[in-house]
Amino acid sequence: MIVEDDKRIREELKELLNNAGYESDVLDDFLNAEQKILDYNPDLILLDINLPYINGETLLQKIRQKKDIPIIMVTSRATEIDEVLSMSYGADDFITKPYNPTILLLRIGAIFKRMEHLGDTILYKDLTIYCQKGIIKKEDMEVILTKNEMIILNYLLNNQNRIVSRDELMTDLWNNNEYINDNALTVNISRLRNKLKSIGYGEAIETRKGIGYILT
Amino acid sequence: MKISSYLKDKLYVVFFFLGIYVFTLLFLLAFKVNKSLIVVISFLNLFYVVGILCIDYVRKRKFYTYLLENSNRLDKAYLVLETIEKPTFYEGKLVSDILYEINRSMAENVKILEEQNTNFKEYIEMWIHEVKIPISFLILMAHNHKEKFTKTILEQIQRIDAYVEQVLYYVRSENAEQDYLIKETKLESIINNVALKNKDELLEERIEFQVKNVDFFINTDAKWLEFILSQIVSNSIKYRKENIFSYIKIEASEEKDKIILRILDNGIGIKKSDIKRVFEKTYTGSNGRLKTKSTGVGLFIAKNLCTKLGHTIEIESEENEFTKVTITFSKNEFYKVVK
Repeated sequence: MIVEDDKRIREELKELLNNAGYESDVLDDFLNAEQKILDYNPDLILLDINLPYINGETLLQKIRQKKDIPIIMVTSRATEIDEVLSMSYGADDFITKPYNPTILLLRIGAIFKRMEHLGDTILYKDLTIYCQKGIIKKEDMEVILTKNEMIILNYLLNNQNRIVSRDELMTDLWNNNEYINDNALTVNISRLRNKLKSIGYGEAIETRKGIGYILT
Repeated sequence: MKISSYLKDKLYVVFFFLGIYVFTLLFLLAFKVNKSLIVVISFLNLFYVVGILCIDYVRKRKFYTYLLENSNRLDKAYLVLETIEKPTFYEGKLVSDILYEINRSMAENVKILEEQNTNFKEYIEMWIHEVKIPISFLILMAHNHKEKFTKTILEQIQRIDAYVEQVLYYVRSENAEQDYLIKETKLESIINNVALKNKDELLEERIEFQVKNVDFFINTDAKWLEFILSQIVSNSIKYRKENIFSYIKIEASEEKDKIILRILDNGIGIKKSDIKRVFEKTYTGSNGRLKTKSTGVGLFIAKNLCTKLGHTIEIESEENEFTKVTITFSKNEFYKVVK
């Protein structure tokens, strides 16, 4: 659920989240915001600090007292004091405006992952992928991935059947402290493809020219 | 108050006295007065003048000497009146009363200016929060509608955002108020934010961004340091050398009581004659004029913020070779409390 007082921003945010495969809704009226949010019972809240009627930090505290919904604070008030306050009130994350949309999605994804206590393994067709170790297993075959290849594969797996742009992959890599350049990304993807090919999934990652990649 | 200067000032008294004395002497000689009487009268006259000068000097000396010395010693000279005794002589009273009056009216003026300044700062902060809303909107739009928004448009929006940010931190760095919070922060994650913020430009300009050994905890305000590092990185991008393999290397190391962060690039460097002045406000140097538009405030703000946070920032460079910025964070157990 998006709690944001600027109408245009919340509509764009909604579109962003919907495009990324989340179901999202916006709060239009901030009178009794707390009750409305609790009634709606969302899986995650994006909460602005500057709201009509009520301060976002107060709202955060009130919701926290009643329910344990993950909350990401989103604000243009970018001081360390605000961040520390929000985190101490129990926010799960704090993002300052203007944010990089891909990063926002990554942060949301990270929270859901934490929540679902998703183990470290992802299943893809008859493959088991151990993210931490960077290993793909198929029956008794095993392929070892580098950190970068794992990040790329992980991102593609989390966005299956959707076209993923190079920029998104790049953002995720940089977000994981891997500051690689364009060429290196191309090399990493082709290596990843070769490794997948060795276990029979050479065509799994398709290139969409000028747009990006898709894992089907 | 020097006695020689005092006497110089009182020279007219001495001349006047001498004039009258000569006149008196002539009179006395004309009336053929007894020589011993002339000597006595001469001495009395001399005593009179010297006496008056001495008493006057001693009365004034205390007041003026302290006034002068203390106002030189104090870093806020306008407080000097509070440090000295009230003078007992008329002239001194006049001076000190006037000084009080001047002080008061100046203080009032300063207060008005301070108020205006605070109001202005508050307005700017508010304005920045406001302007970030349309900027956020544009960035979201650009992301959602890639077919309508080209990469160039997004880059320009990011530029606007960077300039807006600079205004915000300029206001913060100039203001006496403490609106930062120092706590233990992971250096690596601050650098990560800086990298992400400058990612598009770094990739666009094909600049290798290498980060090594930055897994340290430091005591700082994360937002401020992020801004400082962003200024340095964006300078490195701006002043890169064309047509070579450009890089920015960020590395940290630990010493006994401090952590040192180094940001090295192989850009065009800074001239020897310019390097001392790079932290000065609006100083652009020859590099600033080389490429279009340099405001010359980035490093100035960075330096100011560093000083406030208690970090030191230094810059080394060799023209046409490299630029190296070093920031030193001191380790202080005290801040571990605020976690």
